[in-house]
Amino acid sequence: MRMRRIAALLVGASLVITAAACSKNNPPSTPGTPDKVTAEVIPIVDVAPIYLGKSKGFFTDVNIDLSLDTAAGGAAIIPGVASGQFQFGFSNAPSLLLAQTNGVPVKVVSSGNTATNDPNNDFSGLVVKDPSITSAAQLSGKKVAANTTKGIVELAIRKLVDMAGGDGTSVNITAIGFPDMVAALDNNQVDAIFEVEPGLSAAKAKGWHVLGSLATIDPGMTVAMYFTSANLAQSNPDLVARFTSAMKKSLQYASDHPDEARAIVGTYTQTPAAVLQSLVLTGWPQDVNTDSLNTLADLMVQYKFTDKRPDVSAILP
Amino acid sequence: MSRFRTILGRVGRSPALLGVLGLVAFGGLVELLPHTGWVKAEYFPPSSRIARALWQVMGQATFRTALADTLGTWLTGLAIAVVGGVVVGVLIGSVPIVREFTASTIEFLRPIPSVALIPGLVVLLHQRQATLVIIVYASFWQVLVQVLYGVADVDPVTRDTARSYHLGPLRRIRYVVWPTALPYVVTGIRLAAAVALILTITGELIIGNPGLGKQIDLYYTALDAPSMFALVVVTGLIGVVANTITRAAERRVLRWHPSVRGELPV
Repeated sequence: MRMRRIAALLVGASLVITAAACSKNNPPSTPGTPDKVTAEVIPIVDVAPIYLGKSKGFFTDVNIDLSLDTAAGGAAIIPGVASGQFQFGFSNAPSLLLAQTNGVPVKVVSSGNTATNDPNNDFSGLVVKDPSITSAAQLSGKKVAANTTKGIVELAIRKLVDMAGGDGTSVNITAIGFPDMVAALDNNQVDAIFEVEPGLSAAKAKGWHVLGSLATIDPGMTVAMYFTSANLAQSNPDLVARFTSAMKKSLQYASDHPDEARAIVGTYTQTPAAVLQSLVLTGWPQDVNTDSLNTLADLMVQYKFTDKRPDVSAILP
Repeated sequence: MSRFRTILGRVGRSPALLGVLGLVAFGGLVELLPHTGWVKAEYFPPSSRIARALWQVMGQATFRTALADTLGTWLTGLAIAVVGGVVVGVLIGSVPIVREFTASTIEFLRPIPSVALIPGLVVLLHQRQATLVIIVYASFWQVLVQVLYGVADVDPVTRDTARSYHLGPLRRIRYVVWPTALPYVVTGIRLAAAVALILTITGELIIGNPGLGKQIDLYYTALDAPSMFALVVVTGLIGVVANTITRAAERRVLRWHPSVRGELPV
């Protein structure tokens, strides 16, 4: 999250070195020997399927020797993949759309995670402490915490306020990391927070109420996706296709076995088992939801993230 | 009453005992802080809760791996910085023209905080390499500058004597420059060790390579404040141990030196 603030800088830097760095890190596949690839992810619940797929051998089945690297913040992942530092990455949808609009050569290879289909039971939520605030419309002109500005969370806050009949553009967005949000609301630094699990469980446990979620805006809204560089997608389409197929299998397996998904999160985070048992999981559909991406692209223009509407078809395979 | 005064007097004369008492008082303060209402125990736990979390965390395999990763990265970075700083320092410092030529560049590069390099480095290098670069960048200057002072401190009479005895460059370094520079080198290493530890944890926290800094971030994202502060305590303890070791080494290596012998130089 910290690092997202310097994302713009990184994206610029990556463009300069993309041409130089791409060739060396993308060796052609040799028949028989597994392709060694590294995927850069963030250590959060959302990426449980790729850890599960790796442990189940779905990647070795398609002759891919997968290493998983975790970045503390997500900002370095897009430049890292674009420059060929990593072959695959996991990033949130608005960042990928913005990168594409800025000319960073990335291609989506697989669905990542989505909101749930139930607006009242999502892994995300707009939370208030003050019981007199009963509608998101009352947050017009108020201070609301988002993990980062110009991200999916800012879009969600503004849209939820608009949907409730308020003025979404008047909301004063304050960047506060997800882990600090509950404390920030507790200390009255902000009027509302847009929190995700496991912080959302902690907020609900305090008796605070949820005014809406990503699923309120768009059930099953696309949150994040797996992607590669345009260079690798072009030079080794076979490897990318095999990664995509293993990823689909992993997403399906995680959806079918939520208990195993919860358990594997404990291997790469420090989230206590009791919390993992009860938190709301994200959606893990196999296919990229183009309609949802178009909704996001429209919201990005509406809330002035970019002047040019992102070209959704350009980042899809 | 008089017995109490005797005990007080004995404690007052023992710096070690006073130090321990100070630490206990600090621990007591942290224990009380959440009860004052200034901070909530949920976000800043009392010291007893941190101590309990430390005990639990230390029993885990992930802790031992993280500790080994941190120590490995720190010592690797420190070793590169020390060797580089000494070699470059002796080379530059021995030739006055080179020294003048590089002085402005060194003074320009030295103040750049190495954390400012992180965004540029993570695109170019693997996580651990990027962290090593920021460690080496920060601690190299500590050693280099000390070595440059040390080399400049050579007694002109000794230097002239060595020259009239026709000592070669290598023997001049061995018998004239090195003994003079050694106290400065050791000071440089001690400073570099502290700086390198800061940058090791910074790199793990921000870049995300394995180690205690990354574990701190994982406990932070898991909203586990006691375990997070427990690891903060561990990083502090590493710093204390490092300082103790380098100070002991300083006394050992320099036992012949006037600054350690405690005698007046003639």
